[in-house]
Amino acid sequence: MEVSRLAISASTRAKLISAGYTSLSSLSTLSPFNLATDIKIPEKEADEILKLASHNGKLDNTKGTQAVSGGQTAWDMLKEDEGLRCITTSCSALDNILGGGINCKEVTEIGGVPGIGKTQLGIQLAINVQIPHEHGGLAAKAIYIDTEGSFMVERALQIAEACLSDYNDLPRRGCNANQLKRQPKDLLENIYYFRVCSYTEQIALINYLGKFIKEHKEVKIVIVDSITFHFRQDFENMALRTRLLSELALKLMKLANEFKLAVVLLNQVTTKYTEGAVHLTLALGDSWSHACTNRIILHWNGNERYAYIDKSPTLQSASAPYSVTGKGIRDSVSDHKRVKLM
Amino acid sequence: MRPQILFPAKKCTLGCPVLDQFLAGGVPCGSITELSGESGSGKTQLALQLLLSAQLPLSLGGLASSSLYLHSEPPYPFRRFEQLSKAFYLSYHQVFDSVECVCNNVLVQELDSADHLFDVLLKLDSMLAEDSRKTMPIRLVVIDSIAALFRSEFENTPFDLRRRANLFFKISSKLKLIAMKYGVAVLVTNQVVDVMRSSGDLNALRIGNFDSLFSSGRRVCPALGISWASCVNSRLFLSMNEEIVGNVTDDGDDNLLCRRTKREMHVVFAPHLPSSSREYVINREGVFGVRGQIETSVSGTSFKSDTSKNPTFLLCDKDYSCGNM
Repeated sequence: MEVSRLAISASTRAKLISAGYTSLSSLSTLSPFNLATDIKIPEKEADEILKLASHNGKLDNTKGTQAVSGGQTAWDMLKEDEGLRCITTSCSALDNILGGGINCKEVTEIGGVPGIGKTQLGIQLAINVQIPHEHGGLAAKAIYIDTEGSFMVERALQIAEACLSDYNDLPRRGCNANQLKRQPKDLLENIYYFRVCSYTEQIALINYLGKFIKEHKEVKIVIVDSITFHFRQDFENMALRTRLLSELALKLMKLANEFKLAVVLLNQVTTKYTEGAVHLTLALGDSWSHACTNRIILHWNGNERYAYIDKSPTLQSASAPYSVTGKGIRDSVSDHKRVKLM
Repeated sequence: MRPQILFPAKKCTLGCPVLDQFLAGGVPCGSITELSGESGSGKTQLALQLLLSAQLPLSLGGLASSSLYLHSEPPYPFRRFEQLSKAFYLSYHQVFDSVECVCNNVLVQELDSADHLFDVLLKLDSMLAEDSRKTMPIRLVVIDSIAALFRSEFENTPFDLRRRANLFFKISSKLKLIAMKYGVAVLVTNQVVDVMRSSGDLNALRIGNFDSLFSSGRRVCPALGISWASCVNSRLFLSMNEEIVGNVTDDGDDNLLCRRTKREMHVVFAPHLPSSSREYVINREGVFGVRGQIETSVSGTSFKSDTSKNPTFLLCDKDYSCGNM
């Protein structure tokens, strides 16, 4: 059914058509807000149009499988999910417990004490998202939002170099001898790096990300290192902070869903007083812990670094050792030995 | 908002090729580097040396800039600074006109409280915005020490600790902003505290590459707790341990035992450096790394001294006592 047959004013109809909305199905997935901003009409009016369109659409739609327009069945979602690839962490033990790596369409929070390797993991993921299809990667690009100034270009180059030499050594499936060898520098160019210096800037940037990603559809991971830093100062009003943070989380989740990309938020740890005792916990409080889909805690266990899945709707809680080497995140040395012995 | 173009951070030389190599070029611009160690370990020595070497032209690894020294532990070590600047001038007399000229490029400001530090940082921000066209703009800020500002004013109650942590983040955020905006290298020195054996001591928590840090035979950790640790980008630790070198003389007299202080610099954590340690000495001319194998430990195993020491350098490098005698 055509938009031209909707009972709306001629000028609105013209606006719709000139914006490219010619069929009712093109309107079915829109939210009133999106439509309103897109064709510059009041939100209320946009809502009316959509109601009308969905009403007409229902009459038109004989199958009637969708209760709400724009909805998806669980089966469809499962099918779609199977088509998505994970981003490897370069540590097989960690990939194992994560079910292949960092999942797209999900928000993953990673926290730990200073020096445990959060930034290292962040840089590694920004490089690994670029692994080409023939090596099981996504051949995509990364957005790196640095709030702490810990992103070191020389380190990223090192990790990029190691990553390139790793997959250049492997036999290629779709052997293409003519393909130009990628340089570490090229990988760096595929990381869109933003440095933010205050929480207002951070919020503004995350609001703007949707637009940016629309223009750069190749982006498949957004890394925020760290989500916490600017939110640990200047907040007298904790309720405000919580509200701002959950709004941020919601926006990031929406981005993850809309563009099928992975969002990785790095978090710091803080001490918490309960009943006189002091223990460590991830920063930003209890309500924040609900905000992310997955939560991974990095910690020391003797001389080894371990990652522990603290919260996930799909993954079993488990822990795995990893190590930070000159090449980046890799399997733990002792774990390697264990595998060899077996 | 546009993504920034990535290029490697500029580094400021420490004035010693061995230490520069150890730190992959020196102290990085655009981030905060912390230097912690017990009193007498050489923090101030290294800081003073850095103030001087920042003036070197880019071709010599410096920043071709003035430097700002914010100190909170009176008195200002001007005698030692004069000594160092003379030595510095002698080694680079072709670059600088006079010793005076070298000293003139180091600005000194005393700090009396954490709030005062924040005020100074606000002023610094506006000052840097103005003098970016000058020939020698400030590109190095040294705070010596951050711990002294915080250790007296706050009590050990949850409320005060929260207030203190809030101030840490405020200060480090401002420092990082200045560091990023103007490409300034920031070095902050920190004191250490002893780690109690009792369980539940948060200082016993492992932060970084080493399970525990030792200095003068005591188990220590950098002061100000985990919140401050989250505020710095890199953390270096200076240790000093008494060591017996050479054999006991045949009459067995204790006085003839040859002792010396072994000083080492350790990378506790840094986004760009592996876990490693490097021995250094302090002498009349400054702080110098000892050439030799870098002891790289896999994910932070022990960093105990190795016994195969080259005894020759001991003869030429008299240990310089730095203020604690």
